[in-house]
Amino acid sequence: MPFSDIDAAAISRALSQIADRPDDLADAYFERLEEIELPPEGSEPGIRVRRESGLAIRLLRDGHTWLAGRDGIDNERFAEALRRVARALPSAPYPVPDLGRDVWLEPASAPEVQELPALFQKALRSYHGDIGTIPITVRRHRKWVRVVGSHLASSTEHEQFYSVAARMDGARYGGLFETLDATTIEQIASSVVRIRAAREAEVPESGPHSCVLGPSATAILLHEAVAHALEADILARGGHPEAAIGVQMASPLLSVFDDPTNGPKPVRRKADDEGHPTSRRCLLRRGVVEQPICDAAWARRSDLLLAGAGRRGDRHDAPGPRSSHLELIPGDETTADLLAEAEGGLYLPEVESGHLDPMTGELTLHFPYGRRIQDGTPGASVGPCAIHCHVTDLLTRVEAVGRESRSGGAGWCAKSGILMPVWATAPHIRLAEVEVYP
Amino acid sequence: MKQLDLLLDVLDALGRQSWREVEVFHKRGRSRTLRLEGDRPVTSFRQEEGWAVRAGDSRRSFFYTASGKPRPDSQWPEADGRGLRLPSARPIPNWAPPMDSNAPLLSETEASHLLRAIGAALADELPGSRLIRAYLEDGSSDQLLASSREVRAEVQQRAASLFVEAQATRRDGPSISMLLAEREARRFTPTSVARQLADRLLLLSRGSSPSKDRGQLLLSYGVMSPLIHALSPLWLGPEAATRARRLIDRQGRLASRHFSLVDDGRFPGGVLEAPVDGEGQPTRKITLVEEGVYRQPLVSWRQAGGDMKPSGCSRRFGWRDLPSAGPTHLYLNPNPNVSVGELLGGLSRGYYLLSTHGSVKIEDGFRRFAVPVSGFAIDGGRPTGSVTGVWLTGSISTFFKGILAAARDLTFMPLGGGMIGSPTVLVKGLELRQRS
Repeated sequence: MPFSDIDAAAISRALSQIADRPDDLADAYFERLEEIELPPEGSEPGIRVRRESGLAIRLLRDGHTWLAGRDGIDNERFAEALRRVARALPSAPYPVPDLGRDVWLEPASAPEVQELPALFQKALRSYHGDIGTIPITVRRHRKWVRVVGSHLASSTEHEQFYSVAARMDGARYGGLFETLDATTIEQIASSVVRIRAAREAEVPESGPHSCVLGPSATAILLHEAVAHALEADILARGGHPEAAIGVQMASPLLSVFDDPTNGPKPVRRKADDEGHPTSRRCLLRRGVVEQPICDAAWARRSDLLLAGAGRRGDRHDAPGPRSSHLELIPGDETTADLLAEAEGGLYLPEVESGHLDPMTGELTLHFPYGRRIQDGTPGASVGPCAIHCHVTDLLTRVEAVGRESRSGGAGWCAKSGILMPVWATAPHIRLAEVEVYP
Repeated sequence: MKQLDLLLDVLDALGRQSWREVEVFHKRGRSRTLRLEGDRPVTSFRQEEGWAVRAGDSRRSFFYTASGKPRPDSQWPEADGRGLRLPSARPIPNWAPPMDSNAPLLSETEASHLLRAIGAALADELPGSRLIRAYLEDGSSDQLLASSREVRAEVQQRAASLFVEAQATRRDGPSISMLLAEREARRFTPTSVARQLADRLLLLSRGSSPSKDRGQLLLSYGVMSPLIHALSPLWLGPEAATRARRLIDRQGRLASRHFSLVDDGRFPGGVLEAPVDGEGQPTRKITLVEEGVYRQPLVSWRQAGGDMKPSGCSRRFGWRDLPSAGPTHLYLNPNPNVSVGELLGGLSRGYYLLSTHGSVKIEDGFRRFAVPVSGFAIDGGRPTGSVTGVWLTGSISTFFKGILAAARDLTFMPLGGGMIGSPTVLVKGLELRQRS
């Protein structure tokens, strides 16, 4: 396991020399990333391997963060980064810890990635007839992280997952997966076919509709409307983040947690990117805000805020409050009940993209396709459409929550231009009369 | 050991494994950034170093990148069934590196003073307004490239970017953001940035929305650059000429004679100014549209052929990225004899549009466009009120052919990884509407 042989005690001693005030926080972040990508057929070059490692030293003092990120891991880079963030010249040279060897010993291969395009095309043919070739990009992502602070050190955390993307004329598909098994491949093929077919379908008429969101769409709704809205840095734009605690911001049917310890197994985390233990954080309990999403810097400002949700895009980015794995507590209704009560409405199983404007609270969700609910079941396809409304307005329109949850990738979050995978476990939900735009 | 020797070692190692097409790229960079958001400043000192290999033959290929220095003993991936073709070395015209290539990066204190000065100048320009977020980055890099086709290239680059987001007086009032780029952060002037922010905030918060209007329009670079960028499918890649052909009239014209579009990887003082592109091919100035007549699209060596000449436009954003064709400094030629004041003075009734407030929509099979804009209503050459919440719409063909004049004030915006520039232009035949 990478970073298991680094001398954490010596690193802590070195950090304590720059964190020389009682309230200072200093840490060293080590990461190793690998991405193996198979581009669409016909693209050159072929298999693409990106391997990188690096470190960052951070000092947080009086609300100001100094961060020195370096590509590559060795003693010289560590010492140089330490000097860069130190606020005063040291009385003696900083001790140089043993950081182990920064080499990749494993071959750069991912057979499951190379096999996927053929299996995907086969699934397209088996389940959906001859619809021609749809080019896809497949990637395997692996990441190892270890954080050592002046007071605490986490063990090495490891994540592995897959991403699949397809581009068709005027439409696109993307998804995150923990494995590339037969069920996943069928799911990808099914979504791609529906998105492609929806380009020809009639778009839904503008106006209010009862909408049933599938688990994937619910996951993105929760990410945009609950997680982003409750990130401490976003809340701070409107005042003090802790002021949100106790506010009823959603339907009482919504109880939402952020729990990195309980996500899909290959991406579970015991510690965040600041080395703090992760926990099951209740964001909303029966629609009332209980605990915002918080990193160490924001948690230091208030006794009511808890650290443990600090994430970094990579070593060059300062940590920030971000969600990892959202869970919506299931309700009582079967999917059939949810659909039956939305007769004539829209079934929206997937979201193509979502955006929350933090200044106005306006939320936009783009759906690549939908289906009209006819006789209590999803019927004819409809073309791309969108929901655009205020976040609290949308969250208070949740009138029923399904009883069967599904776990999976919610997608790539691109807050502040920093891409991060996010995950969710969610059931279907029904929204009462929301404005839908073609 | 010299950096180039490290690259040649990797070339040798892969050559010994019988790879005929091999390219090794190395990039080292450093930057300083200051991010202000609320009262939590983040100062970053970033040092990046990485390298990349493209290797293959006519049947198989791979791409491998890693952080640190190039290593000939790396664990190469097993190539898969796609061939690879690399460019040959070409003569590189004389090149004098810009004087500021080795200028020191902005210090932590200078960066802090610059952002705070923008905040203070904004409050002076528009009392009660405030900077919500500001992000300043100043960096330099050295790139080295060697290939089995005898390409040897070295490029030094210098670039700074400034992102600012500001809000008008009320906490729930409108906010606007801007992204600017220069070769050095010291070229950002607080008062100029603050005035642009204040102007746009004022327009947004006080402007009225005419339900529908026509007339002559003055479009500043803030409207023209996003339009030129959104119309990239007409300029970029071998298929662009086919798309453009549909807009060319019987006289063989795409646009009026005031429309000349150029891409120049060597644009003097430009943020992306360099002697070679990301594949070591010489950059040059190339005219895509000359006085309204479509000449050719922007193509890389790989895409060139027939009448289309390559222009050295393969961009490489970082060591992790593959080269991809795109504009460097793509701009509408200014007219050095015409000032904005003259165009404004000659506008009897119309609008002077300064900025866009959302992305440009291209509609109806590349025939029409629409973009939300703001600016001023003009009567008798003088502003009579501000307008906002309106869409500038029209047919793309009318837009091109309706350009009546271009001024001398060429200004660039960073868009889509390139620098897109335009002077202020006078145009007729377009429409303002409340909704697209």
